[in-house]
Amino acid sequence: MKRFTLGATGLTLALAMTTTLASAQSLRVTVAEYSAKTGPYFEEAAEAFEQANPDADVQIEVVPWDVLLQKLTTDISGGANADLSIIGTRWLIDFVSEGIAAPLDEYMDEDFRGRFFDVFLSPSVMDGQTYGLPVAASARAMYYNKDLLEQAGIDGPPQTWDELAEAAPKISALGDDIAGFGMQGKEIETDVYFYYAFWAYGGDLVEEDGTSGLDTEAGYQAAETYKSLIDAGATQPGVTAYNREDVQNLFKQGKVGMMITAPFLSSQIAEEAPDLDYGVTAIPAGPDGDRGTYGVTDSIIMFENSQNKELAWEFLDFIFTTEWRAKFTEGEGFLPVNPEVAAMPAFADNADLKEFTALLPDARFAPVIAGWEEIAGITSDALQTIYLGEGEIQPTLDAAAAEINEILDQ
Amino acid sequence: MQRTAPLAPYALVMPGFLLAAFIVLWPLYQLGVISTSEVNRFGQLRGFAGLENYVAVFTDPDFIGALWRTLIWTFGIVFGALAVSFPVAMILHEDFYGRGVARVIVMLPWAVSITMTAIVWRWALNGESGMLNSGLKNLNIIDTNIQWLAQAATAFPVQIMIGILVTVPFTVTIFLGGLSSISGDLYEAARLEGSSPLQTFRKITFPLMRPFVNIAVVLNTIYVFNSFPIIWATTQGGPANSTDILVTYLYKLGFRFGKLGEASALSLMMFALLLAFTILYVYLASREVRE
Amino acid sequence: MSAKLKRTVIAWAVLSPLVVVTLFPFAVMLITALKPPTEVLTPNWVPSRLAWENFVSMWSATNFGPALWNSIYVGVLSTAIAIAVSIPFAYALNRFDFGAKGFLRQFLLVTQMLSPIVLVIGLFRIAAALGLIDNVNSVVLVYGAFNIAFTVWMLQSYFATIPRDLEEAAWLEGASHASALVRVFLPLAVPAITVTAIFSFIQAWNEFVIALTMLRRQESYTLPIQIFSLVAGRYTVEWHHVMAASLVATIPVAIIFAWLQRYLVRGLGVGAVK
Repeated sequence: MKRFTLGATGLTLALAMTTTLASAQSLRVTVAEYSAKTGPYFEEAAEAFEQANPDADVQIEVVPWDVLLQKLTTDISGGANADLSIIGTRWLIDFVSEGIAAPLDEYMDEDFRGRFFDVFLSPSVMDGQTYGLPVAASARAMYYNKDLLEQAGIDGPPQTWDELAEAAPKISALGDDIAGFGMQGKEIETDVYFYYAFWAYGGDLVEEDGTSGLDTEAGYQAAETYKSLIDAGATQPGVTAYNREDVQNLFKQGKVGMMITAPFLSSQIAEEAPDLDYGVTAIPAGPDGDRGTYGVTDSIIMFENSQNKELAWEFLDFIFTTEWRAKFTEGEGFLPVNPEVAAMPAFADNADLKEFTALLPDARFAPVIAGWEEIAGITSDALQTIYLGEGEIQPTLDAAAAEINEILDQ
Repeated sequence: MQRTAPLAPYALVMPGFLLAAFIVLWPLYQLGVISTSEVNRFGQLRGFAGLENYVAVFTDPDFIGALWRTLIWTFGIVFGALAVSFPVAMILHEDFYGRGVARVIVMLPWAVSITMTAIVWRWALNGESGMLNSGLKNLNIIDTNIQWLAQAATAFPVQIMIGILVTVPFTVTIFLGGLSSISGDLYEAARLEGSSPLQTFRKITFPLMRPFVNIAVVLNTIYVFNSFPIIWATTQGGPANSTDILVTYLYKLGFRFGKLGEASALSLMMFALLLAFTILYVYLASREVRE
Repeated sequence: MSAKLKRTVIAWAVLSPLVVVTLFPFAVMLITALKPPTEVLTPNWVPSRLAWENFVSMWSATNFGPALWNSIYVGVLSTAIAIAVSIPFAYALNRFDFGAKGFLRQFLLVTQMLSPIVLVIGLFRIAAALGLIDNVNSVVLVYGAFNIAFTVWMLQSYFATIPRDLEEAAWLEGASHASALVRVFLPLAVPAITVTAIFSFIQAWNEFVIALTMLRRQESYTLPIQIFSLVAGRYTVEWHHVMAASLVATIPVAIIFAWLQRYLVRGLGVGAVK
């Protein structure tokens, strides 16, 4: 009996192998490189998936974040795109309107949908169709250095921007190389760093009439707040030379009192500066109690021209199981996008993460606008002009808003 | 001249010509097509657009700024490198102790990929963690940290300086080659006639070096005009586009903002600009020689 | 003080600013690479201890070995292609008189002027059409083709300095044109070919934009791309690894340079302007 089973297995195996040869099922997956752990994680997942599906050959293509959009553009333009790709959800509308992303609803059942928090899945839904699955999520909160605050005689982190404007110079006064508020002024998310205050003052990126909200009172006030922090020496000098990583580095060294960034800073501190005594709190509120955090997700999409949609879906189904999600989320230091993962002790008992999750109801996502990257570019340029003191606040923001309105009109 | 087989030269030239033409001309043709088409953000053609893309580039105020800076960038580096390389080559041509070591040091930047050089400089120029500030502080040259990359007024000159630094090795090598090709007899004759070193330089070295200078200018102009990594790795053209040159602007336009039609138009305009410069320079240089 | 000693002092004094500025990035690389991870962000010039283990951890953390191999593979193969097609090209331009000569010269100058970044969209479409995306061979092909202009130009001006008499003498002795070329001409051209090959190799070793566009998977990355990916858009940058990797990537080329620099000078001197 046993021999017979073995023989049968051998036969099936041989059959399976011939079918593999006949139809080599290869699957190409483009993933963004979040950290040194991203590549190995996806390779491992691909291997595990191949073991479960012997006729599949999964190729992982790891792309640095800065050039992801460029690669996708050239890939699609050359008709050589992968089957699946991670993209910034803020780009999704471009992919959908050009018919490049495939709708996923036909594959998804209620059970699958239930694996996600709705707040993270909804940005990928357009015109009632789901075009992407949230693969990475993060929100922003304020990190503060407890020692520096204490030395400056401040009890507890500031709750409003007014309090922050008061506290920051006191911390800066502690030493030449100490700055109260760490401010980002360069490269990716320079615009976002401004929106924290902009939202607190009640601003909206796109007004109800469909125009830019930069040229409103909220825009002027937020810019005024930041500019006066810079002028008062309450930030690190030369903000336009600092990108997000640079400011985080200052914070890790204990040279910055407060800064706003994403959960991954916690895991970096745990590894690189374990002695730093810091806390995480909500982003300061505006005069009317408004506050906003930036919610950002990256989604994984399936390409409409994929030849292997069934297999691609199986791979998605595989990596969105709780086990693989937990491994990814913990390794990269993101927020859990799945309730089951969030309930795991590693996440549920993490005090820093709780602060971020608590902010989610206030989270704002990048608006669904074609050409979002260009709008972000215009906004960042205008802010740099203001930070450098090369332009008055109001006219600079008005000009930027006018430029943005032209894009919004299209 | 060999005239045995009239087709022989064509056969010899063909493999190289075909390969170069295929890799260079075909993409050029593609650019022509894309630049006159309506293109979506993923480079898929959506109909004919005439000269719209060209007009869009021309009317963009950032284009004029970038064009102007490209001229400063190119001339700054090409002539900066010339000004540094000429005396350096003259010295390295002399016989002195440690000349071999000196030559190797001067050539060293060549051994590093420009991308890596730019990344290293970016790290060295970091305001708080950068070793340039800390080095200058240790030497008491400055007492507060300079935020080199925070504004164009310091960032752009530093970028040009880096550009000069990576251009010097090639230029020095050409000049050294040139100096070694000048016959020693000429100098001997000049010495016997009692001419001063300055006269020797003016009468012999400089005129004989002319063709080498011309070559260095043309080749360096082509390389520097198209040079991307130094600016991209240090400032990405920022803050507020104030260090953008045409190449970085092209990259942003095409790959960040997804305006591939305009990017293709700009590519062709840059090519035309470079072509015009080269023809002009070669013409001027050959006219001078004839005079 | 002997005349040579005096020259030495003056020469080094004049060169010293350039020497300092040239060596500065190397010092930054070396010192940062040797700092213990906790000290990397402090801009001191003397690390508390020399963390040689950074090089070991860099090797695996940055996927250095495969990237090094890819760079060497691409450099050698693209150079071989460029040289192989350029030798007959340059020989024809130099030894024959034929109608298309002027056109070919102009063609070479024009291809020299086009930067890969300007053509990257079109190049990518070729690679896609040939099914060569994510294949290092696509990069080999592009580098090889882009180097043709420079290599032909260098070779043909050098060939011009090889006297025709020698080949003609070989014919008189009854050798065929082909065998005269291989037995008499090519041996004389070896130094020029070597120098030209080095230039071509350096171009390939340094190239960034094409590799960035064409190569997808980490297994196929060349060194510049691999190192760039360590600093581009990651949530944290391990500068000591970046610097260690840059340093290790630089050393082999620096050694080749130190060894061959005199030939480079000689080759350019004869070749550049004829």
